[in-house]
Amino acid sequence: MSLIHIENLSKHFKILNRREGLSGAFRDLFSGDYRTVEAVAGISFDIEPGEIVGYIGPNGAGKSTTIKMMTGILKPTGGIIQVNGQVPYDNRIRQAQIMGVVFGQRSQLWWDLPVIESFKILKEIYKVDQKTFDHHMDLFNELVGLKTLYSQQVRTLSLGQRMLCDITASFLHTPQVVFLDEPTIGLDISVKAKIRSVIKELNRERNTTIILTTHDLGDVEALCQRIIIIDKGRILYDGDIKRVNALFGAYRTLKLQIDGFTESTLQNLKDRLLECFGMEHGITIAATEEFWTDVTIDQAHTPLSDVLSFVMGNFTVSDVRIVEIAMENVVRKVYDGALG
Amino acid sequence: MRSYLPIARASYMVGLIYRFGFLFTVVGNIVYLGVAYYLWRSIYSYSDVIRGLTFNETFLYVGVGSAVFVLLKTYADWFIHYEIREGLIANYLTKPLDFQVYNLFANLGSLLMNLTAVALPTALIMGLVFKVKLTYGAGLFLFPISLLLAFLISFSIDYFIGLMGFYSESVWGLSTTKEIIITVFSGALIPLQFFPEDMQKVLFWLPFQAIYHTPLMMLTKPDQGLVVFLPMMAVQLAWAFGLFLAARLFYNQAIKVLRIAGG
Repeated sequence: MSLIHIENLSKHFKILNRREGLSGAFRDLFSGDYRTVEAVAGISFDIEPGEIVGYIGPNGAGKSTTIKMMTGILKPTGGIIQVNGQVPYDNRIRQAQIMGVVFGQRSQLWWDLPVIESFKILKEIYKVDQKTFDHHMDLFNELVGLKTLYSQQVRTLSLGQRMLCDITASFLHTPQVVFLDEPTIGLDISVKAKIRSVIKELNRERNTTIILTTHDLGDVEALCQRIIIIDKGRILYDGDIKRVNALFGAYRTLKLQIDGFTESTLQNLKDRLLECFGMEHGITIAATEEFWTDVTIDQAHTPLSDVLSFVMGNFTVSDVRIVEIAMENVVRKVYDGALG
Repeated sequence: MRSYLPIARASYMVGLIYRFGFLFTVVGNIVYLGVAYYLWRSIYSYSDVIRGLTFNETFLYVGVGSAVFVLLKTYADWFIHYEIREGLIANYLTKPLDFQVYNLFANLGSLLMNLTAVALPTALIMGLVFKVKLTYGAGLFLFPISLLLAFLISFSIDYFIGLMGFYSESVWGLSTTKEIIITVFSGALIPLQFFPEDMQKVLFWLPFQAIYHTPLMMLTKPDQGLVVFLPMMAVQLAWAFGLFLAARLFYNQAIKVLRIAGG
């Protein structure tokens, strides 16, 4: 039997239509003018024990709402949701015992106290026996060097250290499933890599199921075998990451700042690249932010280094950045039927 | 129960960590005691007994009253409101915890902290510097129980206001109004004996006097006998239970706002 069973799950929010200005604010006091927002509009999936599932989508796609329903914070408007055979919001306290949750933006640790105190408190809250506690603390120390942080106040930790503490803390009571809501938000590359390896290790240790929401495709690539893409409350793709990777892994975006940039420079750049690399070059160009020109390159067709040296040789470029394809672009491409 | 005790311990520790806050509370209360002493001294220069209270009794009432005031000031309404408004409540909802009991114990920790920081120094100063004498009587033994009930009532009122976080963005207005009502109608500022007779009769049935007046009477006039004290404590007990339960029912309603409308 699957650990998480979701069938035709939906969640609607009623939102008051706000009017403009002071008089509008007064009229809103007595307003019954609500509109319904479908945050989650009928999704279905099953998650097996031990899986690491990447649950991704742009902002406002319905990711957090789904997580909140799985953790029993929100009550679904319709559909079926079961975690370990139980309905989360009906048995909140009992269900909490088998779950671990990390909300990337809000720490579950006691802000003013030394790190070790939070672990001791969690030990009592979850009624973890001493042997399991010691075993886990040793493991966490091995993974993230927790001992050196024991006596440090949580609020003095760096964001990366705090996140590592938060993640390990959510595994303390040997949960069956752990929800990680944007665990790498705001972190630099090296800390992200560390966090990914820790998550992987913790998953392997007890075959803990992990559901991960993120904006960073790198997280998904490093951790998940399976990926669920959601947008506007609907599932766009649910399946093997390999297919997604084959499609987007090869894409890189070259961001250029060209001196004396005008509309004609953009056209010029387009023409010159077409001339140099031919029709089937897999390159798209767009001026995004002010001063920046984005050149998206499919490396299956054209090596990025070729494009870069060509541009550098023919234009006066003052700044260059190379970025992986953005989540929004993946979702847009999925819409366009790339995975269909 | 065992899983909630470390929570009280944690909030006690937080109080200790903020050493300067601790220090200023101690000093602030000593200053207040001095002011109260000279104020009531000058009032009593015209008469030895006012409304059946001697200077010693009134000063004991006001002094201990100020200590109890700081003792019960745990800012629970602000904290709970903040946690709800900022969505931090999600951290509690995903743990095997009861939100009300959790907050009760967190407050118990702050209470014990305040006890160390304020109540003990106040007691020492009142006894050693101002030479206030206690009368012997049954009330002295009932005082701690009565104080605990007062804490429960005070917590429930704060918790109620905190839960408003589900409905409103700001708690400032409600919280200050509460402070004023409690300060005036509870006897925290002026002993209730100084109020008009009819008003005293009405106030007897309200929860506010059960927070200050009841425990303070047990300390200032402990020899009144159980005939006086038991009805007072019955009122306290009724409010403590009633408010705790009412707050629980209110939470069950309020949480629906979050669970249905989103956090």
